[in-house]
Amino acid sequence: MSAVATDTEAYRARHRAWLAANLPARWRADNPDYQGPTLDEAKEWEAELHRQGFWGVAWPRDYGGHGLTLREHLVANQEIGRLPMPESFNSIGKELAGPIILAIATEEQKKRYIPAILEMREIWCQGFSEPEAGSDLAGLRTRAVRDGAAWRVTGQKIWTSGAHRAQRCLLLARTGSMESRHRGLSLFALKLDQPGVTIKPIRQMDGNAEFNEVFFDNALVEPEDALGEQERGWAAAVRVLEVERGTNRIYRAWRLEEELRHLLTVCRTDPALARIIENPHMVQRIAAVQVDIEVHKRMIEGVVEDLCAGASIGGRGSLIKQHWSDYHQRQAALAVEILERASYPPSPAVARAQQRFRTVYLRSRAETIYAGTTQIQLGIIADRILKLPREG
Amino acid sequence: MSDDPIREIAETATRAAAIAAGLDAAGAARRLGEDGLLGVLAPESVGGLGLPLSVAAAVVAATEAALVPLPVAEAVLAARLLAERHPEVAAAIVAGEGVVTVATAGAFTDEDGRCSGTVGRAPAGLAARWLIARTGNAGAAVLLDLRAEGVTIEEERGLDLERPPARIVARDAVATPLHDIAGFEADLLLLRAAGALGAAEHCLDRTIGHVSNRRQFGKPLVAFQGLRFELARQKLSLEGARAALAHALSLAGQDPRAEGIARLVARSACGDAAPAIIEAAIQLHGGMGFTWDLGLHRQLRRAREAAAALDAVAARAALAERLEQAWAA
Repeated sequence: MSAVATDTEAYRARHRAWLAANLPARWRADNPDYQGPTLDEAKEWEAELHRQGFWGVAWPRDYGGHGLTLREHLVANQEIGRLPMPESFNSIGKELAGPIILAIATEEQKKRYIPAILEMREIWCQGFSEPEAGSDLAGLRTRAVRDGAAWRVTGQKIWTSGAHRAQRCLLLARTGSMESRHRGLSLFALKLDQPGVTIKPIRQMDGNAEFNEVFFDNALVEPEDALGEQERGWAAAVRVLEVERGTNRIYRAWRLEEELRHLLTVCRTDPALARIIENPHMVQRIAAVQVDIEVHKRMIEGVVEDLCAGASIGGRGSLIKQHWSDYHQRQAALAVEILERASYPPSPAVARAQQRFRTVYLRSRAETIYAGTTQIQLGIIADRILKLPREG
Repeated sequence: MSDDPIREIAETATRAAAIAAGLDAAGAARRLGEDGLLGVLAPESVGGLGLPLSVAAAVVAATEAALVPLPVAEAVLAARLLAERHPEVAAAIVAGEGVVTVATAGAFTDEDGRCSGTVGRAPAGLAARWLIARTGNAGAAVLLDLRAEGVTIEEERGLDLERPPARIVARDAVATPLHDIAGFEADLLLLRAAGALGAAEHCLDRTIGHVSNRRQFGKPLVAFQGLRFELARQKLSLEGARAALAHALSLAGQDPRAEGIARLVARSACGDAAPAIIEAAIQLHGGMGFTWDLGLHRQLRRAREAAAALDAVAARAALAERLEQAWAA
């Protein structure tokens, strides 16, 4: 037991030291001179993070992973979470496409796709949602038809984050009839750089345009880019998604704690804000956020332990997703409510925090919508965890 | 230790609690004592099992769900507290030969082993043989034999129906000093959190049964999405509190620094969640929920008292003072 604990602590210390020495100061979201990485810089940084053991931690060595367990994956991510670091530009590749590929793809495909994800040669986007198929994929209309051994895709995806910088789309398309609903769906690793694909950005409420509409007009999928068994792969992918809902961005509890730390640290440097955060009502709201963060950490640790023990986590990913998306919205609103009352003119540190948390606040509104809305998660909790009957 | 001893004891506790719930306090103590449930924490020297606090939490969750008329958390912790210096009392508590209670309000004055004054809110005090009560000195307390000369006991008004609280007046009564009960009191809070959460889970399960069977507008209530979402929300709050409590229990006695944070988090999460889940259970039972006979008010009365003791607001205020510690953990 103690040998394991010592190993874990040594592993943690190594990761912490590496990040402390190598994270560029200007990329830190708490730096008054903050300037986020360019796409090329981000690619280089993330590829280096992989070489240093931060990505692909629990993936097999055969495909460029580090062959460790989810426990080490959690430790590495806790260290990522502790710092105000840039988010991954390829989280769809690393946390959605990658796990699905590892579960359902052929050996040849794993060797082709996985190292390209880890080395940042291929950025992925997710092509599931459509205008007529949001939470309910039974209404999915984008169609893939045979063209010899290859496939041709026609239709439209929407809310496709990062499509404008991605090389591949994890595409869910209908290969059966509309009547086959969920069953007639298949997965593809479509190459985006081709004439049949048009990408149009959609401006979000935070002013950025991270998500897109993607149009397919007879777009080509090479035979070697069909994923999993036709019309069976999706069922397997759903099981992967269920685990991912519990474990994606597993550093989140520690990052939201870093956000709280940043907020309060900055408040203490400003006389007006220092007074506000001592107000007993504010003290309660601040501590309530820390309670939520602690609960979030415990839920994550519990899931990691259960997965390491080979247990299934069932619908628990929905409990976790609902918990964090709810409290992060309260946390982000609290941050703005406090910071907008800073002394004027604000110091550079306060101005930076204001800017960071305005964005965090606006973006947090998406968190109860994407990856299954609050209403979908509550439905899953009711159906899958409480096992409530539908009819008497 | 593996999960199995916990599960085994939890099953024993559930069976014993169902029987003990129909007895008086003395009978309940004997029944739980026969199954070894009051000695889960006490060492073998007084007939106990010497198991960790998480096991006691499973016992108290079962006895609170079933409304056992005995202060069970107080008994298991008192048996551990008294085992070394007062082994005969500890052994009697473990065996279920007498009821021990704890005054949660007031303090005695203690002069050379003789105590005076008024304390109160001692659950099941009229049925108790022993009382643990604070004295004026910080962290200090006394063990009082309630049959001692100079002691009078009277019932007080309170919420808990099965364990009516009592006021105890002592006039120069002989008592045994206990030195540091801070740890005892902190563990008592955690066990009360476990009990309240156990009761809340029981009431949530009962509510699911009700809404699955009750039909209105031509379908079972559970088919209405508003109700399904409400139940899902209650489950979310139950599981969050449970995760916080399990962490605090797992650290009990290990890392004093993290334990402090973990206990404050558990007090906040459980103190807020447990009574709210039972209140929602009453709501979802409709008019029946408000009746005396349905009985959900019994769990609510106990859980609301536990929540007052857990004092989520004070726990959060203390946590806010120690955020740097939480962040360093």
